[in-house]
Amino acid sequence: MKEQISALMDGELDVDNSQHLFTALKSDTQLDESWATYHLIGDAMRGNCCMRADFSKRLMQQLANEPTVLAPRSNLFKQPPSFVWSAGSAVAAVAFVGWMVWSQQHMQTPEQAMAPVIAQNNVSPEIMNSYLLAHQEYSSGGDMQNASYVRQVAFTGNGN
Amino acid sequence: MHRILLSLLLLPLLGSAADQAVTEEDPWLQLEKAAEAAHKLNYKGVFVLQTGRTVNSFHIMHTNFGTAEFAHVVMLDGAPREVLRNGNDVVIYQPKSEKVMIEKRHAQSSFPAILPAASSMLKANYQIKQTGQERVGGRDGLNIQLDPRDKLRYGYYFCVDRQSGLLLKSVTVNEKNEVVEQIAFSQLGLVNNPDMEWFHPNVDREKVYVMQPEEKVAPAGDDDDDWVIGPLPAGFRKVEHMHRHVHGKDAAVSHLVFSDGLASVSLFIEPLDKNKPPRQGNFVQGATNVFANTVDGRQIIVVGEVPEATVRQVAAAVSFKK
Repeated sequence: MKEQISALMDGELDVDNSQHLFTALKSDTQLDESWATYHLIGDAMRGNCCMRADFSKRLMQQLANEPTVLAPRSNLFKQPPSFVWSAGSAVAAVAFVGWMVWSQQHMQTPEQAMAPVIAQNNVSPEIMNSYLLAHQEYSSGGDMQNASYVRQVAFTGNGN
Repeated sequence: MHRILLSLLLLPLLGSAADQAVTEEDPWLQLEKAAEAAHKLNYKGVFVLQTGRTVNSFHIMHTNFGTAEFAHVVMLDGAPREVLRNGNDVVIYQPKSEKVMIEKRHAQSSFPAILPAASSMLKANYQIKQTGQERVGGRDGLNIQLDPRDKLRYGYYFCVDRQSGLLLKSVTVNEKNEVVEQIAFSQLGLVNNPDMEWFHPNVDREKVYVMQPEEKVAPAGDDDDDWVIGPLPAGFRKVEHMHRHVHGKDAAVSHLVFSDGLASVSLFIEPLDKNKPPRQGNFVQGATNVFANTVDGRQIIVVGEVPEATVRQVAAAVSFKK
């Protein structure tokens, strides 16, 4: 089974750019159930499919054709021929649920229900979180590098 | 007899003075070495970040194989948030109830890789001096102090490892010399012959991994904007200008970044959202000051690791073409 993962990853990943993922997959003996997770990580590191502009459109098309698979399932491994397709749809479905939850969270904020009124001081780390993150991300550009994802991670944690 | 004893007692002191003479070089050069060492060396350790009243500790493993740089940072307090970095690609894992959110970012560095190049801008805005020695995280370090030339920026105390040149500690102070933020190794070791076995997230098989929608960011020109930036706080200049397409927002958010060679300030400009209250006010979190204001139907938000007066000045520099 592991050979199949390796073979798949061989074909799927640009090994030069993701040797670390490859190494991790080969070294962990209990990774079978987490292959989808690793797939996502691979996607994230390489910045492919899920990140493309037509992501949600393709997602909806895939969802229309597929049963909903919400979490990585170990028994998917028992059908190697459908592996690649299942991988795609599982990732898509997982990401879609995340997107739904994300959207709902952002649609149901109490601020939205309120009439627009100007308060004396209505900013807080929680409300400004996305701006803090954006600042942390891009302040490392140019000729200085004073940004820190450590600060970002700490902020996000404190803000939630 | 007494003389012999005295000279014996003095010997170690003389020795350390000689050591100091050997390492006493241009402090700007030492900062540059520290900046380089953070990317080039193989090391692992634990460091602590104090932001205002919040303290978080992190484990870091970092390697550079000459062609590729890898880092894994795990937050040791609270939910096990972690970050994997390969070159400029950063992936952040944040557990939230039954899920783990995966977020992809670009071109970020992290402690100890936070030092800038010794640019002319940096030298124009800060004075540097060596201020002795200190033991940090079990290692002997040299202290370097960056004093701001005015009150528009913070001061910094850095401590660099005598042996490797790595940054051991960074302390940010305000004009009253009060610590507003500090980050320091509590434990650090250099690694020989590193492997890659450690470079993977600590996967929780009970949880579902979800990719967060990525904000689309594009470089922006100055031509099509209906606002202009007036005089900036002294010593700052624009280093970035982009448009952020944020999920759930119709109009792009303009994002400008200003730098003084070390500290940075972000300016966000966007149309007011009819469904949300306009944001006005400010707060400080550690070294980071945030100021929000509305001008002519636009929301202005300024974020930076600078004193409050500086973020206010940046906000005040924005005016809209009629």
